[in-house]
Amino acid sequence: MSPLLDMREVRGGYGDADILQGVSLNVAPGEIVAIVGPNGAGKSTAMKAIFGLLHVRGGKITIDGKDITGLKPNLIVQAGVCYVPQVDNIFREMTVHENLEMGAFLRSGDQTRAYDRVYGLFPDLKERRKTLAGNLSGGQRQMVAMGRALMLDPKVLLLDEPTAGLSPRYMEQIFQICRDVRDDGVALLLVEQHAKQALAFSDRGYVLASGANRHEGTGAELLADREVAEMFLGG
Amino acid sequence: MEFLELLNFYIIPGLVLGSIYALGAVGITLVFAILRYAHLAHGDIATLGAFVAFAAVTLLGLPVYAALPVAMVVTAFAAVGIDKLFYDYLRERPRIVTVMASLGVALMVRSLVQVIWGVDAESYIRGIARPENWWGIRLKDREIVTILTMIGLVLALQLFLMKTKWGKAMRAMSDNPNLALLSGVDNGKVVFLTWLIVGGLCAASGFFLGLNTELKSMMGWQMLLPMFAAAILGGVGRIEGAVLGGLIVGVAEEVSVIFIPSEYKAAMAFVILLLMLLLRPTGLLRGKVL
Repeated sequence: MSPLLDMREVRGGYGDADILQGVSLNVAPGEIVAIVGPNGAGKSTAMKAIFGLLHVRGGKITIDGKDITGLKPNLIVQAGVCYVPQVDNIFREMTVHENLEMGAFLRSGDQTRAYDRVYGLFPDLKERRKTLAGNLSGGQRQMVAMGRALMLDPKVLLLDEPTAGLSPRYMEQIFQICRDVRDDGVALLLVEQHAKQALAFSDRGYVLASGANRHEGTGAELLADREVAEMFLGG
Repeated sequence: MEFLELLNFYIIPGLVLGSIYALGAVGITLVFAILRYAHLAHGDIATLGAFVAFAAVTLLGLPVYAALPVAMVVTAFAAVGIDKLFYDYLRERPRIVTVMASLGVALMVRSLVQVIWGVDAESYIRGIARPENWWGIRLKDREIVTILTMIGLVLALQLFLMKTKWGKAMRAMSDNPNLALLSGVDNGKVVFLTWLIVGGLCAASGFFLGLNTELKSMMGWQMLLPMFAAAILGGVGRIEGAVLGGLIVGVAEEVSVIFIPSEYKAAMAFVILLLMLLLRPTGLLRGKVL
């Protein structure tokens, strides 16, 4: 299958120095792909490069064959990529429903279907639609953040460390939500600090180190790889 | 002291003054919540609004209350213009630069008012207004209008912020600016709306101060401290807090006259500000911004 999101030999960084020294990865429709690696490997930076949040100096990023390299975030959203930042990814002083409304800010017309879909995926949120998002638990906040991004009906959802700071119970819940979102027809690319768990539940994974590709393969392959295990997964 | 006397001579004037402060404090809190800086020209823009209404009464011959909407619209666009001229291109700089610029704007606006209307005290209506007696409670018409208009304007603002698309965008920008931008909210439009609203509220504040006392070129500047005290007292970023804070500061100033010489009543705002910053810097209703 041809890739939905394709990133080839991308180099770039925030200032003058290149944090990414040529990263290549792709995501096919209906896939969950994890990016793992040690601290400072450029995992989140690679994700921000896709979303136009840093200066890309080389390489090419396409979505459905369309070049999105260096476009502004709002245009990338229109191309079908939505991004959930790691922190500050909800409007705390607004209700759950208002958070979803903000997700659909650029959409005009009736959004009933979009709301039904998000509330269908996250029944917890439907019960709490009038609650302030800041008063929710960590797992529920992550649902709000993902729900907000899903309101724009993206083809690919980028999640930056969705389980950071969550208890193991919530981590499993978020992974289950990711599967539900995938089964709903959205491909996912996520950056994960919890490498073992992430690779175990993802379809494929990429191991980055020092801003470049180190290993790639299915989750099971990577988990079975001795070098990967020793380097990044704590033996 | 009798209860009615306390009510008529201290509480009611306090609530009227408090309503005037509240209108200004709501604007201060909005600017702080969305633009994230202390706006020191707030009082002098209120003065401008008061004198625009004066011009509408004296030059156009409008009835006094009809001058209020005129002043609000004119001042709203004046505030947008001031933002475009002075604050807009400082937006990427440290906030303190804009705070200093707003002090300069305060001096400019006040001087403009002095050049056009002079430095003498003026009033909208000549003569003394007698209060009506409502079962022992003495209220002037203008006092009732001041309090009711404040309540009406604040309710309208709350309705706008809670129910409309752009009101929600303003709240989103105050809540999480980066995420609002990622959601496609146009920052420029939010800033424009903020100044439109803030300018209008400033004008109302100045108008009612002029209506209940008199018009002077320093009137707004002298309100700046109580308005900031009110915004901080209520919790910066909270509209309802600014209203509550305004009313408390207003009543505290008037009631303080019972215990201290009236020349010192303006110091009450300062005392409240100091106490709040020492004891509960987030304000009575937990502020969102500070």
